[in-house]
Amino acid sequence: MTITTRGIAESLAYGGFIAAILLLPLVMDDVFWLNRIAKYLVFGMLGVAIALSWGYAGVLNLGQGLFFGLGAYMVAMSLKLQSYTSLQQGSDTPVPDFMLWNAEPGAPTDLCCINQGSFLWIPFQAQWFGIVMALIVPTLIALALAWPIFRLRVSGVYVAIITLAMVLLVRLLIIDAQPITNGFNGLTDLGWLTIGGFEFDPYLVETYYLVAVSLAIALLATRWLVSTKAGLILQSTRDDANRARYLGYNVAAYQVFFFAVSAGIAGFAGLLYVIAAEFASPSFMDLAFSISMVVWAAVGGRGSLLGACIGAILINTIEATASETEVLQEAWKAIIGLVFVLVVLFMPRGLAGVALDAVAWIAPKRKLGPAPLAQQEPAE
Amino acid sequence: MRKPALTIDGLGVSFGGFKAVDGFTTVVNDGELRVVLGPNGAGKTTMMDLISGKTAATEGKVYLYGQEITNKPEHEIARAGIGRKFQIPSIFRDLRVRENLEVAAARETSVFRNLRLGLRKEERDRIEEVIDLTRLGDVLDTRAGDLSHGQMQWLELGMLIVQDARVILLDEPTAGMTQAETLKTSRIINELKGKHTLIVVEHDMAFVREIAERITVMHMGKLLAEGSIAQIEADAAVREAYLGSGGIH
Amino acid sequence: MSEILFIGLSLSSILLLIALGLSITYGAMGVINMAHGELVMIGAYTAVLAGIYLGLNLFFALPLAFLMAGVVGLLIERLVIRRLYGRIIDTLLATWGVAILLQQAIRLEFGLTFFGIHIEGLGPGLQNMAVPGFLTQPFDLWGLTIQPYRSFIIVLTLILTGVTWFLMYRTSIGMQVRAIMRNPQMAAACGIDVRRVSMLTFAYGSGLAGVAGVLLAGFKTVQPDMGASVVVDGFLVVVVGGVGSLFGTLASAGILGQINGSIAVLTNDILARAVVFGVVILLILWKPRGLFSMRSR
Repeated sequence: MTITTRGIAESLAYGGFIAAILLLPLVMDDVFWLNRIAKYLVFGMLGVAIALSWGYAGVLNLGQGLFFGLGAYMVAMSLKLQSYTSLQQGSDTPVPDFMLWNAEPGAPTDLCCINQGSFLWIPFQAQWFGIVMALIVPTLIALALAWPIFRLRVSGVYVAIITLAMVLLVRLLIIDAQPITNGFNGLTDLGWLTIGGFEFDPYLVETYYLVAVSLAIALLATRWLVSTKAGLILQSTRDDANRARYLGYNVAAYQVFFFAVSAGIAGFAGLLYVIAAEFASPSFMDLAFSISMVVWAAVGGRGSLLGACIGAILINTIEATASETEVLQEAWKAIIGLVFVLVVLFMPRGLAGVALDAVAWIAPKRKLGPAPLAQQEPAE
Repeated sequence: MRKPALTIDGLGVSFGGFKAVDGFTTVVNDGELRVVLGPNGAGKTTMMDLISGKTAATEGKVYLYGQEITNKPEHEIARAGIGRKFQIPSIFRDLRVRENLEVAAARETSVFRNLRLGLRKEERDRIEEVIDLTRLGDVLDTRAGDLSHGQMQWLELGMLIVQDARVILLDEPTAGMTQAETLKTSRIINELKGKHTLIVVEHDMAFVREIAERITVMHMGKLLAEGSIAQIEADAAVREAYLGSGGIH
Repeated sequence: MSEILFIGLSLSSILLLIALGLSITYGAMGVINMAHGELVMIGAYTAVLAGIYLGLNLFFALPLAFLMAGVVGLLIERLVIRRLYGRIIDTLLATWGVAILLQQAIRLEFGLTFFGIHIEGLGPGLQNMAVPGFLTQPFDLWGLTIQPYRSFIIVLTLILTGVTWFLMYRTSIGMQVRAIMRNPQMAAACGIDVRRVSMLTFAYGSGLAGVAGVLLAGFKTVQPDMGASVVVDGFLVVVVGGVGSLFGTLASAGILGQINGSIAVLTNDILARAVVFGVVILLILWKPRGLFSMRSR
């Protein structure tokens, strides 16, 4: 690729960010805060997912919480079955405590038939099943949802409304299925993720690394994805879908593919969040959470994967710090509302836009000239 | 005798009773440059919409090198070999000029086969040729939306050449251009003669004389006359149709 | 059966009143106002405060809430939305920020809590609005049990819908609004003061939200985040009905309200809402421009 000031700055930013999150435990030994930051890194991953669909595909998904929530519930089901609250219910196989509270008198204490639908939990006794499902289910649901949307060429704000209605719909179904989902209360008292005998206690530095490395991989993989030819074609569909069609591209296929990738990332984030936070709740599918994600991305920069990621981490970290400061505890929310308004009004490209402008200003008019196209090597 | 590239057979569409194109039939041969003339509302742009799949035809058929393409989705018609240039330049405004050309290299259209960095050798060579032809070399890193009107038109033309469409539909390629720009455009189009089959809708008669081989005249959605410039200018029916607008200038 | 219809109708009415305002602001100005629910909330608090401090009952609270919400809406338009016309998603995000701000302002009593000052009726707590006695006694008419408060809601909604229709289709300002809906540039070129008309339209739509808030306060507890859920419902009604179509909004509020009401009686409130969301998704997929969309080019 042509070497440009912007390209160098971007590489430095990615490298610096990844180094920073990987080195953080060296300077921060407060496990409580480390666990918190891990959760915010997960939100950063949501920022990446939003920027991919909103910034690159031009598709605003106001229901990203659906995929985050599905990923979270899938893995939480497995971890719930490993928790003492499931193992000590006086049966040979684990049964979640809340299922007993919701059971009909005289129902057998077994996953097969304690409640209507409780058999769905049976395969989740294997932890790998929950993990795999946390990645597959959000992606499949996204495919099923995106296919009709993009085939019928629904676009713009209507996609936002459909996705928003969808997340609220699933949230209600989960709440309504109280006997097998614990309704409003969600899945709590979870066990720990265990890989090869190692237990990922959320307050261990290893768990932090699990999240940080996952984020680094997700960030770089998505960055690679948008640099491919397919990523470029995706951006072209955002600019002018008809032109892309007249060039021979099936625009819907590109939109569906990247929508599903974005959902898969959100599902992965849900999985990691459960490991770090030890609960899954229908609040993941609240309207407020899904819109908040979009706002984080807007503050960080909707057109930049890294910007949206940093935006999410930054807002949440500041929010946590502020809510611990006595004076700001309640006022903080009002301040964040004000910040959203100001960012949309005066910084439409977010922090990333400001950073890019700064780079352009610091390294001005260094005329590199257009490199001949033949110099481009297909980097493998 | 050259083989037919595009065969239009009794093509028609009606919008709520109004027949914008009505039983239109013509055959465009491989490598031919066909100019379509007609007064405003004659159905020229609608005819292009029907060929390229933007509008669904209610009657008739379209064949491309013997393969039927009537009412297929736009991207399938494009893959079959039809490229289209719009009257208002349709380019990817937020992408850079170079990126526009890269997207146009559309030999491979599937998502999964495009999950690779960089371009193939033959695609790069093709883009280089087109950059030479359209003289866009100085603005490769410019955002396409920031180009001048003429440059946008050439970029869109260039994209069609990179796309390597066998049949190219051009809707008023010189609309809104200065004299110098029009001249450059006719040079590009003349360059394409013989390599691609071209169908050009145009009003500017000076430009038409510059490029045309064979002319089709449409009137009220129907074929009115077909022939060389001299034949068309001598045609009584054409004069009749144009009387209201003062004949062909 | 008539009872189901009655509950459905009154649900539809509140929905309609909320959607009516949204339909005007979204249809006329292309603004997705997420703070619309907060304007409903402000209307409800106006009723509560008017009861506490001025001793005014429901009937006096209605115009007061209309004014109050209208003024707040006007401020939102002038300070925020005016800079965002044409950027529909940005209006959604910015007004979401405004919504949070308004909620917190009520919760913190406009920040006065920091100085130890408390205003009765505001704050994080729950409030109720007293409904005048004669509106709470059901009575029989031709063998039907009539719920006076619910009937009052239905009648008032119908009147306000009529007034809105009259304003939009029978007055010169309504004609200007409709001209702006079709083509703001052309409207401006024709000498319409687009800024002023947009501002007034927005204020009127906000005022309707305030009225909806008062009516809602009659059977729901008043709290700072009461508006958050109604805005989505109202918005779905507008989209399903078709942007810019007053009749569409009316029909769609009726349909969705009835579906919600009937299914809630058959199963429960949660499933009823879920079904409504499902129906909305299918309807938008089927007709993205709404059931009764305005033909525009």
